[in-house]
Amino acid sequence: MKRSLIALAIVGLGLSTAAWSQAVKIGVINSTSGAEAPIGETINNGYILAVEDLKKKGINVELIREDDTGKPQISMSAMEKLATRDNVAGVVGPYTSACANAVSKLAEKYRVPLLVPVASKEDITRQGLKWLFRLSATTDDYAAILLNMALKLGKPKSVAIINENTDFGTSAAKSAKAFAEKNGLKIVAEEAYAKGSPDYRSTLTKIKGQNPDLVFMVSYVADGILLMRQAREVGLQPQAFLGAGAGFGNPAFAKETDISNNVFSSTQWTEEVTWPGAKEFAKRYREKFNKEPVYHSANAYASLMIMGETAAKAGGDREKIRAGLDSGKWNGIMGEVKFQDYDGYNNQNKHPMLVEQIKNGKFETVWPTTFTKNKPIYPFPKWK
Amino acid sequence: MTIFLQSLISGILVGGVYALIGIGLTLIFGVMRIINFAHGDIMMIGMYLTYMLFSMAGIDPFVSVLISFPLMYLLGVFLQKVLINRVLDALPQNQILLTIGMGLIMSNTMMLAFTSDYKILSTTYSSSSISIGGISISQPLTISFLITAVITAGLYWFLVKTNTGQAVRATAQDREAAQLMGINVKRMSGIAFGLGAGLAGTAGALISPTYYIFPQVGSVFTLKAFVITVLGGMGSVVGAAIGGVIVGVSESMGAVYISSGWKDVVVYVIFLLVLLFKPSGLLGKSRM
Repeated sequence: MKRSLIALAIVGLGLSTAAWSQAVKIGVINSTSGAEAPIGETINNGYILAVEDLKKKGINVELIREDDTGKPQISMSAMEKLATRDNVAGVVGPYTSACANAVSKLAEKYRVPLLVPVASKEDITRQGLKWLFRLSATTDDYAAILLNMALKLGKPKSVAIINENTDFGTSAAKSAKAFAEKNGLKIVAEEAYAKGSPDYRSTLTKIKGQNPDLVFMVSYVADGILLMRQAREVGLQPQAFLGAGAGFGNPAFAKETDISNNVFSSTQWTEEVTWPGAKEFAKRYREKFNKEPVYHSANAYASLMIMGETAAKAGGDREKIRAGLDSGKWNGIMGEVKFQDYDGYNNQNKHPMLVEQIKNGKFETVWPTTFTKNKPIYPFPKWK
Repeated sequence: MTIFLQSLISGILVGGVYALIGIGLTLIFGVMRIINFAHGDIMMIGMYLTYMLFSMAGIDPFVSVLISFPLMYLLGVFLQKVLINRVLDALPQNQILLTIGMGLIMSNTMMLAFTSDYKILSTTYSSSSISIGGISISQPLTISFLITAVITAGLYWFLVKTNTGQAVRATAQDREAAQLMGINVKRMSGIAFGLGAGLAGTAGALISPTYYIFPQVGSVFTLKAFVITVLGGMGSVVGAAIGGVIVGVSESMGAVYISSGWKDVVVYVIFLLVLLFKPSGLLGKSRM
C-alpha cells in the first residue's frame, strides 16, 4: 500500500514536471514606458489576449517581458538578456523601427527567431537575415495605400512630406517620395524635423506657402498632435492630411477631435476586415480593456499566436522554430500570413493595408472598397 | 513676405517663453555665481504642477501661474537654503555636480511618480489662433507672451525700484561689499534662487497648453536657457530677455529658410559668433 502510494506520488510528480516543462519561454520586447508608451500599451493588450488564446489551444507560454523605453540601446541589451540569460525559444518585438532594426542583427548573432510585429522600416527585412521574420507591412505599403487613395478620390498634383528624422520617419518619407515621383505627384516640400521641438509653426508656414494638395506626415503621438494643432493655427489647408500610421492611428490622437477629425491614417488592420476572428478579437478587446482596438494590438496578437504555436510545435528548439516560421502558413485575424522572399525582402509577410479616417474622435475604415462601404470625406473641410 | 512675418512673429512669441527661462537662470548666476544645471528640471516640475492643477482641479494653465509661481518660489528658497547654500564657496565643478545631481533626482522622481508617458494638456484654446492679414497668431502663445512681458516688467521694477531689489542687485555686483554695507546676502541668495525657480516654473506653466510634458523635458530647456544666458551676457536680466527672443527667432527663421532639422545649428552658429566677437555676451560686462 505504502509502496504504491510512493509510486503514485512519483508518477504524479513526473506528470506535473512534464506539464511544467511544456511551457515555452517567449521573450517580448516592447516600449511600455517613454515616448512610445501609449502605443506600447496597445501592443501589450494584444499579447495579453494572445496568451489567453494560446492557453485555450493547450499551449502554455511563459512570457518574459522587457521594456526598451523606445531606445535602441536598451532594446539591444534586452535582446541579449533574453537570448542568453533567459534562454527564450523566440522573441516577439520590439515596437519601433529603430529598435527592431538594432535588435535584428542580434537575433542573427544569437540564432534566436525574432518576429517583428509592427515595425515597418523597409530595410529591416532587406538585410538578408535568416532569423528575422516580419508580420508587419512595410513603409512602402504605408505610403502606397494613402497616396493611391488620394489619387483615386481627387486630383492632387503636389505633396508635402513632413517626417520625424527617426528610422521609421525617414523610411516612410523615402517611400512616399518614391511613390509620388513614380505617379507624377510633385514634391513641393520635404521637411525632416527633430522631434520634441515646441514650435513647428515656421515649418508649417513654409509648407503652407507651397500650397500642397496633400500633406503626408510621419510622427508618433505627441508630435502628431502638436503638428496638427499648429497646422490648424497657421491655416494649412490641403485636400487631405495623410498620416502614416503610428501616432495618427492611436486613440490618444483621435481623442483630440478639434484637430484630428477627417485626418487619414494608414493601418494594417481594422475591425471591418473580413479575416477570420477579427470581429471577435475586436469585441473581446473592448470588453477586456474598455478601449478601442487598433492595428498595433492585432499585429501583436497575431505575431505572438504564430510564435507560440510554432514554438510549441517545435518543442522550444530554436532551429526548428526558425524552419517552422520559414515554411509555415497561418490564417487568422491578420488574414493570411506567410513569410516570403520577394523584391529584395527576406521573410517578409505581404500584408494588405487599409486606410482609416477619424470622424468625431473615432476611427472609421474608409479604404479600400473591397473591405468597406464607408465613404471617405474628401477633400478636407475648411478649418473652423 | 507673409512667411517671413509669420516666422518672425512665432519666433518672437516662443522666444518670450525662452526669455523667462533665461532670466531665471541669469538671476541665479548673477547673485550666486552658480550655474544652475537643474533649471530645466525645475521648469519640468512647474509643468507637472500645471498639469495636475488642470486635470484634477480644472484650473486654467494661465490662471494656475498665480498658484505655481509662489509654490515654485518656495521650492527654490528651500533648495537654496538646504543645498545650494552649502556649496557657495566651493569649487565650481562641485557646484555643477550638485545642480546636475539635483536635476537628475527631480526628473527621476517625476518618472517614478508619473511614469515617462507624455502628458498632453488640451485646453479649449490649445490650437486656436487669430488671423491678421494672412498671418496666424497662436492664441495661447500670445497670452503667454503677454504674461511674460508683465512678469518681466514687474521683475525689472522690483530689481530697480524696491529696496530688496536693489539689495539683490548689490549682492550680484559685489557680494562682499554688499555684506559690508549691511545687506543680508544669504537672504538675497534665497530670494534670487526662489525667483529663478518661480520664473522657470512659470515658463513651464505657460508652455504647457501648447507643448507636451514628460520627465526628461528639462534637459532640452536647460541647454536653451544656458545658451540664452551666455548670449545675453551672464547675469544680465535684459540680456537674457533679448537672448531668449533671438534664440526663438533664429530657430524659427532657420526652420523656414534652411531646414527644420538644421534650425538648432543656426542658433549655435549665432551663439558662437557672438562669443567670438563679444566674449562676455551681448549685454555682459567683461569680468576678466
